[in-house]
Amino acid sequence: MIQVERLSKTYGGPRFAVRDISFRVGRGEVVGFLGPNGAGKSTTLRIIAGFLGATAGKVRIDGHDILDEPLKAREKIGYMPEAAPLYPEMRVSEYLTYRAELKGVRRSDRKAFVARAMEQARVADVQTKLIGQLSKGYRQRVGLADALVSRPPILILDEPTAGLDPNQIRDVRALVRELGREHTILVSTHILPEVEAMCDRAVVIAKGTLVAQGAIEELREMRRSRGIRIRVAEGRSERAAALLRDLAAVEKVEAAADALHVSWKTTLDDVDAAAERAAEALVSAGIGLRELAPVKASLEEVFAELTTASEANVVADAAEGAAA
Amino acid sequence: MKGFFPVYKRELFSLFVTPTAWALIVVFLVIQGFHFYGLLLHFATSVEVTVDRGPVQAFFGESIIFYLPLVLLCPGITMRLFAEERRSGTIESLMTAPVTTTAIVLGKYFAALTTYAAMWAPTLLYVVVLRKSGAIDWQVVGTSYLGVMLIGGGYLAIGTLMSAMTQSQLVAIVLSALIILGLFVLGIGEFVFEPGILRDVSAHVSVWGQMSEFAKGIVDLRRLVFDGSLIAVPLYITVRAVDAWRWG
Repeated sequence: MIQVERLSKTYGGPRFAVRDISFRVGRGEVVGFLGPNGAGKSTTLRIIAGFLGATAGKVRIDGHDILDEPLKAREKIGYMPEAAPLYPEMRVSEYLTYRAELKGVRRSDRKAFVARAMEQARVADVQTKLIGQLSKGYRQRVGLADALVSRPPILILDEPTAGLDPNQIRDVRALVRELGREHTILVSTHILPEVEAMCDRAVVIAKGTLVAQGAIEELREMRRSRGIRIRVAEGRSERAAALLRDLAAVEKVEAAADALHVSWKTTLDDVDAAAERAAEALVSAGIGLRELAPVKASLEEVFAELTTASEANVVADAAEGAAA
Repeated sequence: MKGFFPVYKRELFSLFVTPTAWALIVVFLVIQGFHFYGLLLHFATSVEVTVDRGPVQAFFGESIIFYLPLVLLCPGITMRLFAEERRSGTIESLMTAPVTTTAIVLGKYFAALTTYAAMWAPTLLYVVVLRKSGAIDWQVVGTSYLGVMLIGGGYLAIGTLMSAMTQSQLVAIVLSALIILGLFVLGIGEFVFEPGILRDVSAHVSVWGQMSEFAKGIVDLRRLVFDGSLIAVPLYITVRAVDAWRWG
């Protein structure tokens, strides 16, 4: 549905905002577009949605080139820009009716389409309110309703959960999953667990270049626990550290302010079993185990790993395999 | 022209639901009310009123109070058209909708033009008032309003272009007011410069000269062509400028 080929973008200067990015999103897929802030996510999505022109490369939406047939391509897309800019002086239902008309929804269908979009995005209860008076969470969802209102086959959502509170984030994630049943979705985020929660596949970019793409399981694998954090009863951490160092799976043990950080050997396969054995050892030695938590790689660490890996062309090969 | 009507309607809605349009119309009508009142006092006490120098001709063709409000009020109508959309980011939703840039620009421009027409509409009452005390030359009224719409149309097109050049409404209104004032002052040159090319140019672009002709019922094709270009050229540049944002 979405084909991006060798896309590059500069804003006049020598620095590339996006450099030579290629990926595809197939019909019915929910793809996460992942990268740290400033990686070029918004730029790429803006180009795909037709707001920005690319310096080089091609974008095809359902077979329509975004440059040669811009209107046909844009008709297929429901785009929600970052931070969902809206007109504060309009009421929610007025705004959505206007957007439906702008997107070419026929007069006879408009009412039904708007009602359905409001219901899906759960903004029906504020439909008579002025957009300027809505909370951030509601505004974000009005933006989502806007993307949905013409019932486009493709949704492009730029950081739909940014700036929301945890409850709202959960709602939006659930909504995206639900919408994924009827739409092809490309959703950007800088939060790794979010991609795992919403998407089938992820495309990862950093510093404007594509560093990896593949199924969610591969990403999960990168994020698997590299160690555990252990807190024991007071005064016994010395003994606990000595005990842990003797375990086969342990690479090293570091003492932090209130806890011990245990790193597993990199060759270790079953981290869960290793954690179990560590717990057993501590309990049987009578050291009061108070806390044990897996330490997962942060997004920065995963990106660091991906960037170095792609330089070694390891992930690039994997990416090619995934694209084919 | 897909998308012209929704853009037009939303822009009108926005002009009239935020107090912008109402505020401008009130200011305009207060000024023109005093203007008309002053003219009536003048004509009521003057002994001689010739056929082509009546109150209608004076109102449209001979008084500077006709132009001065337009220098600020026209940019006031157009200042938010694009500047506000760019500042708030809504331009992104607008330009990713399946509509052409021409439709967006024209939709916004005609909303401004409609507001401008609404601003002038109540002045038709003056004609009604005048009719009670004497005969009205309807052709003069017609050509006068034609002149009003053409000149305003040009000013609004300049304002639309300036609004597309900046994200700040203030910069937009100042720039367009300066350009409009510049055009007006250049027109005054007709009465200042010695005969020669400079004076011819001034006479050609003079809104003053144009309105005093239109207010006498004289419609010169050259004036129409000039007004037409004053509308078409800025609007064309606006379309190109808006399209160029994609490549920024």
